[in-house]
Formats: sequence, structure tokens, C-alpha cells
Amino acid sequence: MMFQDLVRAMQSKFPQLTAANSRPTSPYDEGYNCIAWAAGDTDFWWWPDPMGQAYWPPGLPREETLDAFVRAYGLQGYTERCDASAEMGRQKVAVYTARNGKPTHAARQLSDGWWASKLGPHIDIEHELGALDGPEYGTVAVILARPAK
Amino acid sequence: MRSNPAIGVAENLLFAVSAIGASSQSVNLATQLRHVSAHYSFPASSRRDPRRDRFRSLAQQWRSETQWLSSTTEVAMNPAYQAIIGMGAEALPMILEDLRQNSGHWYWALKAISNEDPVVPRDRGSIKKMRGAWLRWGETKGLVRA
Repeated sequence: MMFQDLVRAMQSKFPQLTAANSRPTSPYDEGYNCIAWAAGDTDFWWWPDPMGQAYWPPGLPREETLDAFVRAYGLQGYTERCDASAEMGRQKVAVYTARNGKPTHAARQLSDGWWASKLGPHIDIEHELGALDGPEYGTVAVILARPAK
Repeated sequence: MRSNPAIGVAENLLFAVSAIGASSQSVNLATQLRHVSAHYSFPASSRRDPRRDRFRSLAQQWRSETQWLSSTTEVAMNPAYQAIIGMGAEALPMILEDLRQNSGHWYWALKAISNEDPVVPRDRGSIKKMRGAWLRWGETKGLVRA
């Protein structure tokens, strides 16, 4: 399927997404998810599920709360809350939440100001920050920064 | 539908013999041969199994509705996935076969139905290792072919 066709198929879940504000970067891979990808891990699926079927950093509560996700990224050095601007010398992750406040998604900022996302078990894309806003992921709740490594 | 000429000829011959007053053994043999012929023409593996059809339909719905999600909880709380869990132990061979062929996040369902978990704690979240552990478990239990 061409990316334009995939984007069209995705628009009921991601109404802001277009082929102009996003681009695919890697194929389907169920080995990791967006939360892992934003943390720089492509070997594990991260989620604090109560059944304990996914990876979650040891020592952190397995709670589906924004605070638990902020703490998980804090362990990766993302401790400062910030805005979405691209800044030299700083790396940023954005955590999305649904209307009920539960985290749904995370994206990592690229040096050109776009963001890199893994879409569940699906493809990786690069996109403008607002491109994934909508019923599936909600909106960005917090952006965290760390010094560039 | 398949047909086997040899079975057909033998069946017709025995039917003709039994029809003109042959022994009860030949009548039984003719009946058994008709069953053999029916099974050959329409093997059990090609018959529609309503439970398997239901599983396939629910699995397809589940994949379609959760394909963009990262939340393992939301993936598992999907109504189609919960309906598969509700099928109980009879779903285990179908889940394991689907896991073998298509992979997917079946781990919550497998654990919920079987009340077992062959995945060692350090491998939780490593999809490849979890899949391997559950398929080995299924093979050991005789629920999925090696």
C-alpha cells in the first residue's frame, strides 16, 4: 500500500494526518511501541499494564497515569518540562493523553523540529506535532527535555 | 470436491452385490466404504467449524480496531479480544495457531485463559521471546504443532 493510501485509511483515527505533514520511515514491526521508541528502545514493548505483559522500568508503579510516564522518561534523563520548539543541544519527547487523561502515545523530536513516532505495532513515521491529534491518541499533554547525548 | 475412481468402483460393485442378496458383512463393508468415500471427498479439515469461524472473525475485528494502539491494556480490553477470552480453553489452540502464523499480542488472553505464564520476568515486553515461550508451552501441552 502506498503511504498516501495508508494515510487516507488512517484518517478516521487521525483526522489531522496528511501525506504533507508526515512521512513513513520504517515498516511494520511489532517488537516495540511508541513509548519504547521515544525512549530509544527497539527491543521491548513498554507499557505499565496491570497483567505485567509489557516492559516497564523496574521500581516504577505500573499505573496508566501521566505521572507514571513522566517518571519513566525521567529515568531516561527527560526531567524538564518545556515547549515544542526545536532547540540545539536538547532532546525532547512528547507524551499524549486521551480525554480521560490516560497516556496513549509518545513521540521523539527530530533535529528539524518534526517528531518521530511508532504507531502501535505498525510503522514508524515522522510528522508535525499536531498531525496525530484526534480520537486515537488525543493530544499532547506534556513535553519533556534532556540535554542532547 | 475430490473423487477417487478406485473407491467409486469398489463401492458400486459392493452395492450391486449387496443389493442382490449378499451377506450382512458385504452390506456392512459397502456402508463403511460409502463413509470412506464421503470422508475422502469432503475431509474434516475442509469442513466449516463455527467456533473457528467466530474466532477468525473476532481476531480480524480485534486487529483492525487496535492496530494503532500502544496500550497493552486497551488492546486487551477490546470487546472482540474479550469475547475470545470468553471462549475459554477451546480458544487456546486457535490463539496459539494464530500466534504462530501472524504473531500479535495474544499474551494477556493466553495467561487469562490458561492461568499460566511461561514467560520469565526479564523477557516481559520482548515480543519475540514471549512468542517463543508461549509457542513452546503450547507444543508441550499438545495445543499447537511444532
